[in-house]
Amino acid sequence: MIVDINFIGLIIASIMASAVPLILASCGELITERSGVLNLGVEGMMIIGAISGFALMTVTGSLIIAVFGAMLAGVLISTIFAFLTQTLITNHVATGLALTIFGIGISAMIGKNFVGIPGKEFPVLFEGLKDTMPLISPILFGHSIVFYFAFALPFITSYFLKKTKIGLIVRAVGDSPESASNQGINVRLVRYACILYGGAMCGLAGAYLSMIYTPQWIENMTGGRGWIALALVVFSTWNPIKILIGAMIFGGLTIIQFHMQAIGVRIPVQFLTALPYIVTIIVLVVISRDSRKIRLSTPSSLGKSFHKDN
Amino acid sequence: MNTNLKISNVTKIYPGCIANDNVSLEFSSGKIYALLGENGAGKSTLVKILSGVIIPDEGKIYLNENNLKLNSPLDAKKNDIGMVFQHFNLFETLSVFENLIIDSDEQRESLREKIDTTMRKYNFSIDLDIPVLNLSAGQKQKVEIIRCLIRSPKVLIMDEPTSVLTEQETSELFLSLKKFSEEGILIIYITHKLKEVMQLCDEVAVMRRGKLVSVSQIKNENIESLANKMVGQNLKTIKKKISKTSSDQLIKITNLNFTSEDPFETNLVDINFSVNRGECLGIAGISGNGQSELFQVLSGEIISEKRSIEFNNNYIGDLNPQDRREYLMAFSPEDRLEQAAIPQMAIFENVALNNFKSSNFFNNGLINENKIKEHSKKIISDFNVNTDNIELKSQFLSGGNLQKLIIGRELITSPDLLICFNPTWGLDVGAINYIHETLIKINEQNKSIILISTDTDELLKLSDKISVIHKGKLSKIMNAEEVTSEKLGILMGGGN
Repeated sequence: MIVDINFIGLIIASIMASAVPLILASCGELITERSGVLNLGVEGMMIIGAISGFALMTVTGSLIIAVFGAMLAGVLISTIFAFLTQTLITNHVATGLALTIFGIGISAMIGKNFVGIPGKEFPVLFEGLKDTMPLISPILFGHSIVFYFAFALPFITSYFLKKTKIGLIVRAVGDSPESASNQGINVRLVRYACILYGGAMCGLAGAYLSMIYTPQWIENMTGGRGWIALALVVFSTWNPIKILIGAMIFGGLTIIQFHMQAIGVRIPVQFLTALPYIVTIIVLVVISRDSRKIRLSTPSSLGKSFHKDN
Repeated sequence: MNTNLKISNVTKIYPGCIANDNVSLEFSSGKIYALLGENGAGKSTLVKILSGVIIPDEGKIYLNENNLKLNSPLDAKKNDIGMVFQHFNLFETLSVFENLIIDSDEQRESLREKIDTTMRKYNFSIDLDIPVLNLSAGQKQKVEIIRCLIRSPKVLIMDEPTSVLTEQETSELFLSLKKFSEEGILIIYITHKLKEVMQLCDEVAVMRRGKLVSVSQIKNENIESLANKMVGQNLKTIKKKISKTSSDQLIKITNLNFTSEDPFETNLVDINFSVNRGECLGIAGISGNGQSELFQVLSGEIISEKRSIEFNNNYIGDLNPQDRREYLMAFSPEDRLEQAAIPQMAIFENVALNNFKSSNFFNNGLINENKIKEHSKKIISDFNVNTDNIELKSQFLSGGNLQKLIIGRELITSPDLLICFNPTWGLDVGAINYIHETLIKINEQNKSIILISTDTDELLKLSDKISVIHKGKLSKIMNAEEVTSEKLGILMGGGN
């Protein structure tokens, strides 16, 4: 069998493409969690983003409106979560779970009229350069703008948290909302902003799935990616760069096990399907063993309601 | 420039309690003011009002004749009022520098320069780039003070600043405060420690149950007069009995080690000591040096090597707290509402948790409520717990009453050894006196005590022998008569 070197490049590119929604949603959720808020509604926000993006694209015909509309839809649904947990001080876990159930239900309802409608082609960048270099060109060129954004996002997130004043404030709020409040920081405002940002990124992740990755609407099409994104945040110990690694391993194993199934390797299908989940978690646990670093990057107030009393 | 701060008719009411009842006070710069009172006297509420954390129901604050509107901590900061809280307002996982820059409008470089200048001026030395959780309590407090100083405050409020400091750190702090005062910063010092007031302050305001009861010059006061004003009654002084020598050994700890998996706990290294019958062994130390781990190992919350603890000629290192109780050990943990009692459960239910085989609290798995209630009533009357409702949830008991209940629950079975950890922490003087008397009584009945405490005065008052724990290691055991608080302070700081 002759293995075309460009074929390997294409496999790597497809692994990266499958990692995109995980990176987007995880990096969004990471900011939310760094401010001390545990939003388990990632899956719900993603699926809302997916149906909103696809529906807006079909109805308006504009890809730009669709992408930004999907992010806005993510923001809107996360506003519900923010209002409940920050203003009405409800429990983060219960509210987040409800958000996911709500998102899946409402997306299925809206999506009824969009089943079976073909998607639109999403423009790709640098297509002309695709054949210039073997192996590398298919990896680097010919992807959508969302793809490039997703791979820049972990680095931007890391820079934002470490180097900017606002990033510092987000970390401070997650570390100790009481101290932050006593320092005159508006904890509720910071947390609202972080939740809404997380919503926008999850919306974008959903839109990527329904408009770029598999351009069509299928009910429940996020297929548990939201939960994986959540797990990535925790197992990466709130480190955006490790999220990138985790998402790549997960994406990679998902793609490779498909190929293995196609070739007909004599391993039970169930095991192959479970493989990405198991390996990703093992790898992230192994690379995040330093308990000192865990303590330094874990938001101490995660999931705890903050109620300023007078 | 002179600073004048005036509190005028401030009232703050919480449901069921008047925290500040029409308080008026006036301060001017150049002096150090003490605000003295027991826990719950309302002094913390008053300073939180001054720092904008709490908004008063009534009353006004004037700084140099300007009426201040303090609706948030930010307003206090803008008006040059700096406050160092009792529980530090620091972000543990951020670096020292990040903690300082977070509420500053300055550029990184100029702020760093300013911090360096301030540290040099007052002889502070702290690494700005390590996370705050690696600092000692004294260093954390310095970070808080620097945070106030870099804003050049007119007023600096210190809320119970010495509760976490060693003797040496305390005297360093006092020197700094005197220096700040000379430079024209108005200092308000909140405390319930009378000795400190006498040492440091020029004027003292005493609060009791939300009311201001007196304002006076320190030179007209002494410790007794202040104590009586603070408590509102005359206190008797307690003296430890003259210790009799006993050679009847009750508990012996041999080569006890504990290695924690949590890097923020302290490992215990080679602990060896013994306690005789009728003796009180005091263990001093700055909090966080392994006291909590030592208590847990002694009580059986952490299980160790079987032969490392010998009690009454039995090896019990591998027994859990319940089994150790059967051998007549008793425990009073530091955290009254989390470890010692369950806040949402009634008094009698909490009593039942201390279940002995001989107590017959349960019949065939059913609760014998009458028996438990009878027992609880006995504890309440024997140990002066100020309530007659044994169905009251324990979270509604005051700290003093809860501690009496816990000590009572432990002592009513007349154990041979009581191990207590900070038994009077955060209590008012009356309750402290009662607990101290009770502990002395135990010794007089030829029972033993291991008293782990961060309060040096308490240890010197009650102990026959004293050891100091520092970074998980015990110092040699000294006779209490040979020990002074200065010596303890040096050992607590890791010196020789």
